[in-house]
Amino acid sequence: MLEAFQQLFEFQNILLLVIGTGLGIVVGAIPGLTASMLIALTLPLTFHMDPVGAVTLLIGEYVGGISGGLITAVLLRMPGTPASIVTTFDGYPMAQKNKAERALALAITASVVGGVLSWFFLAGMSPTLARFALQFGPWEYFTLVLMALVMLAVLAQGSLAKGLLAAALGMAFALPGIDSSIGQARLTFGSDTLLSGFGLLPVLIGAFAISQILRDASAPPIKKSIEAPKQRLPIYASDIRKHGPNMVRSSIIGTWIGLLPGIGANIAALVSYSTTKQLSREPEKFGSGHEPGVVAGEAANNASIGGALIPLITMGIPGSVTEAILIGALTIHNLQPGPLLFQNAPDIAYGIIAAYLIANLIMLLMMWSAVKYIAQVVNIPRSALLSVILVFCVVGSYAVNSNFADVWVMVGFGVIGLGLEAARVPLGPFVIGFVLSPIAEEQLRASLMMTDGDVSAILQRPYALLFLVVSVLTVFWPAIMARLSNKARSTA
Amino acid sequence: MASAPDTPVRTRTRAIGDLALAACVIMGASILFIGASSLPPPRFEPLGSAAMPRILGAILIALAVTVAARAILTLARSSNQGSREAAIQLPHRGIIVFALLVAYIAALDFARVPFAIATTLFVMCAGMTMHQISVRSALVHCALGLVLSLSIDYIFSTYLFVRIG
Repeated sequence: MLEAFQQLFEFQNILLLVIGTGLGIVVGAIPGLTASMLIALTLPLTFHMDPVGAVTLLIGEYVGGISGGLITAVLLRMPGTPASIVTTFDGYPMAQKNKAERALALAITASVVGGVLSWFFLAGMSPTLARFALQFGPWEYFTLVLMALVMLAVLAQGSLAKGLLAAALGMAFALPGIDSSIGQARLTFGSDTLLSGFGLLPVLIGAFAISQILRDASAPPIKKSIEAPKQRLPIYASDIRKHGPNMVRSSIIGTWIGLLPGIGANIAALVSYSTTKQLSREPEKFGSGHEPGVVAGEAANNASIGGALIPLITMGIPGSVTEAILIGALTIHNLQPGPLLFQNAPDIAYGIIAAYLIANLIMLLMMWSAVKYIAQVVNIPRSALLSVILVFCVVGSYAVNSNFADVWVMVGFGVIGLGLEAARVPLGPFVIGFVLSPIAEEQLRASLMMTDGDVSAILQRPYALLFLVVSVLTVFWPAIMARLSNKARSTA
Repeated sequence: MASAPDTPVRTRTRAIGDLALAACVIMGASILFIGASSLPPPRFEPLGSAAMPRILGAILIALAVTVAARAILTLARSSNQGSREAAIQLPHRGIIVFALLVAYIAALDFARVPFAIATTLFVMCAGMTMHQISVRSALVHCALGLVLSLSIDYIFSTYLFVRIG
């Protein structure tokens, strides 16, 4: 770990971390633009970087992207990212009472505390969990991927069928190309372009960035102009006693929710907010500019990143779209996230952990010193911003293979993304299904090869069986709960 | 973000959308089955190359049928309700920006228009579509496009050794 910190403090890496965190904060502050979009667009630039530098940049963007959302959530009541929705509940009312500086100070501090506390979990649990995951065989991996996909699909907003449909569609789009097990073309229908399959980057940029930009282009312009804070951000020693327990509790909630695939930073913030409200002696004050409300949401949403990074680096399981893109980034650099990452590329595994901590500290410095300037980015005309991002989408997709076929794939997936969103099919499970499909297939085929096609062998693998049972329960849980509550109602 | 309230027209539109989605998914699943049928049977392993497309095809069809069945039930329930409300407005600006994006890529790919010219024109047109059509807007977005294209071209060709277009 110490070596990872030493490597991180090399000039190039720390510079990339500062740039990444700064970019993330700016993009996170702009409503409509998200950390996942930024990471997807930056990915082509990392091809020519060394893996540690690339990962450092992307982790900085992730941390900055989630934290930056608090600025507009407090000042405009428009969360820059979905993770900051909860911050609007009390942050904006505080700003209306001329306490914008205090709301920002608490939100920034809570974000950093959440990030740092979840770092302890990340640093403490990851190597142990990775060692434990080394016991896993193909059956365990297949059922783990299945469980992650099912949880993502079920927990995504909207209907269960559409969540599962999204995951299955994403998996189907990953099938064309050379079947790596037997080296034969599959579902290419004679097209040479399809031999290498659909590239991860054009798919990600298309499904997320293009569809988001086209939706934003149609949205009415933001009428409100932002009023930047004028005074210094006030924080006091007494805040440790006043908000300390809330920060710690919310950070722990955020970390544990982040560990579970598909739930995400916004739900972590909501759960933490409602827990704080329930435990408060003054629950009626929540929603009207109450400081603990701001603290709870921001500590939890930032802490969820640390939690989500744990299954990513120890088992290669993404908890959200952003982590799916990070997996893509590692894959591009010929690195396979999972338990072997700690053995095969410890500089990367520990580098991610070290970068996460330092990114949080850089975020604190940047936000504290420059929040009034960062807030002004919201006043940049959307027309200029979106046009520029569209050009970056085209250039980013092209730069992967210097090939316009990838750019057309990006456009195609932009249309698919728009179509799916119009039909209220969640994009998260779609993209993660696309990323996890090759792993799921490879592990299933390896499992069946090991057991000569005997599926019942799974019964002798307790962890695989556990993951399978959780997957099945996750699918049927809503129906079971509905039946139970109907029964309870009829008995009452 | 609060979603728009469910009116009878919106409910029907969504149900029709779900039917269209189900139809598209079933067509996609059929392509999976057609593609899988031309793959050889497994030789070294029990599952083979065609299994995954077939499994996913079957899952997709089952889920599409579920979505379609729900949509049909919704349509049947809402058939007696009024329909005098305005239809959902199409996002015109989004469509124009998308058309401009396709034209921009086509210009780079097929017509081999130089990157700086194509990008400047694209940023100008897309910017004006999203902002307003005026000489000032055109000039501002044109300048932005020119600076952006020249910067990207320089960075990509000098540092990343990628020439665009």
